[in-house]
Amino acid sequence: MTTASLRGGPEPTARAAVVSAPAPTAERAWWGTHSAQRKIFGYTLLAPAALYVLLLVGAPFLFSLWLAVSDANVGDPVARFIGLENFRAAWEMDTFWIAMRNSVVFLVVAAIFKSLLGTSLAFLLLQNFRGKKLIRGLVVIPFTLPIAISVLSWKWMYDSQFSVINWVLSRLGLIGTYGSDSWPIWLGQPHLALAACIAVNVWRTFPFSAIVLLAGFTSVPLEVIDAAKVDGCSFFQRFRHVVVPMIFPILMIGLLFDTVFTLSDLSVVYLLTQGGPGNASKILPVLAYQIGIQAGNLGRGAAIALFLVPLLLPALFLVLRNLKRREY
Amino acid sequence: MATQRTTRQKETRRHLLIYAGLTPFVLIAVFPIYWMLITAFKQEPDLYRMGNIPFWFNLPPTLKNFSILFYQTHFGDWIINTMTISAWVALITLLTAVPAGYALARLRLPGAENIGIAIFMTYLVPGIILFLPLSRVVATLGLQDSWWALVLVYPTFTIPFCTWLMMGFFKTVPMEMEEAARVDGCGQLGAFLRVVLPVSVPGVLTSVIFAFTLSMQDFLYGLAFVSPGDQKPVPVGVPTELIRGDVYFWGSLMGAALLVGLPVAVLYNFFLDRFIQGITGGVVK
Repeated sequence: MTTASLRGGPEPTARAAVVSAPAPTAERAWWGTHSAQRKIFGYTLLAPAALYVLLLVGAPFLFSLWLAVSDANVGDPVARFIGLENFRAAWEMDTFWIAMRNSVVFLVVAAIFKSLLGTSLAFLLLQNFRGKKLIRGLVVIPFTLPIAISVLSWKWMYDSQFSVINWVLSRLGLIGTYGSDSWPIWLGQPHLALAACIAVNVWRTFPFSAIVLLAGFTSVPLEVIDAAKVDGCSFFQRFRHVVVPMIFPILMIGLLFDTVFTLSDLSVVYLLTQGGPGNASKILPVLAYQIGIQAGNLGRGAAIALFLVPLLLPALFLVLRNLKRREY
Repeated sequence: MATQRTTRQKETRRHLLIYAGLTPFVLIAVFPIYWMLITAFKQEPDLYRMGNIPFWFNLPPTLKNFSILFYQTHFGDWIINTMTISAWVALITLLTAVPAGYALARLRLPGAENIGIAIFMTYLVPGIILFLPLSRVVATLGLQDSWWALVLVYPTFTIPFCTWLMMGFFKTVPMEMEEAARVDGCGQLGAFLRVVLPVSVPGVLTSVIFAFTLSMQDFLYGLAFVSPGDQKPVPVGVPTELIRGDVYFWGSLMGAALLVGLPVAVLYNFFLDRFIQGITGGVVK
């Protein structure tokens, strides 16, 4: 033993020996134990899914960040870094701000209507009555139809001349006949086009709101409500202080999923109006598609799509927090 | 007697009130589907007679719209494309999501919970952010303008969702089953394949259904990656190819919508509660 080792612990080589000496056995033990096998087995089973998601969601997301700061376009495979130029260009584009405003209006107005309709429907479906299953099955059809398909039906109902909606309104005397000033052309008039698109979104998603709420209501144990009743709470007190706090997490998740789906969906607007007339119903996803794919300006398109991120981020954050609470 | 009658009257009144409340919802929800149905079987002149009541046939019903659909458009191709795409997507999803769900739910891996959440979160990354970079990926692989592009990208949302679904499902299978299998001399893989998987058939089937219905809900990827008319899946082909300029063949369009939409809607309907459970992530027990 050297003096050095007496004063300051083992010499470097000796120290290494001390650390590494048990290592082979530990390693053998690590490989050999039941739990280690389990881990290797587990990560092997996990790998394909994790890789797929990393390669085709994670990497493309990072790639979209790169596209947004490059001058990539369809014709020219070599993209150069151009800094924040795409964001600046979007920022200075009138259409971008119209699309941004329309997106926010779309989201908020649709959310108000679908929560009103969804809540009333959920309260009705909460009751016990005959034929409940059948009625529930019918009411959720809008949500279960493939979206591009149901939009077609609406396009026909919004037809400029043979709209069935106008036929009914006209027979009721609410509007004039075809050709008169009061005959609405749903998809052709600036102030109606966005409203018509919002209506389709509300039609499609109010059953979703209702079912999510219903799932929340039925998760509140009856005993809790009875206990509150015994304690002398009125209906509204019970609702406000017992039911709402208990279903709040699921309510948030439903709302946030809806936010993500509504903000990022282009099919309704694209198929009904292509964002027109003019830019009256243009929303961010449609603009990103038109610039990125139709005009071939990948960089600019990616930058516009990324402007959705700040709108989506609070939603993602809240979902994450709620998922963490999931019980096992 | 009297009280019995009043309770029955009360019950009837309650039912009537509920039905009255539900009627507008059912009407709003179902009318567009009814409108598809009646339009699909109408003769063309019948669609454009505003003098008549449009809710029923004013001329005898016809199957002409469907024959146009099958003989003069790519509708048949689209159905085959969709079926083939869905089969591949379901296969890829099963081969990846089922083992992943099992690993995350049962094998007590360090960080399993966070990995599970991370995978599920990717379900929330919207296509509108991914489609431009993915179009580059698709082009690099030489898959542009073929439905194989969709086989590649659809699992980006079916894998996260189905992994999450299978995680929840495997948690409900009793641990003792595996332990018993291990005692009987099964290896880890054996226990998974021969004991846990057979009792998880309902969960696996649910995943297949979602691989199918979620693929049918896509429009953006199909629109952006596949342009040749005969390569499109049905939900993209119908709205983009059957409309030529300003000419709308409403009868055939609605016929196509009906043939595609109804089976999906019915199938999805049966599994809707699973979908809701899936996305609310077990907040509802």
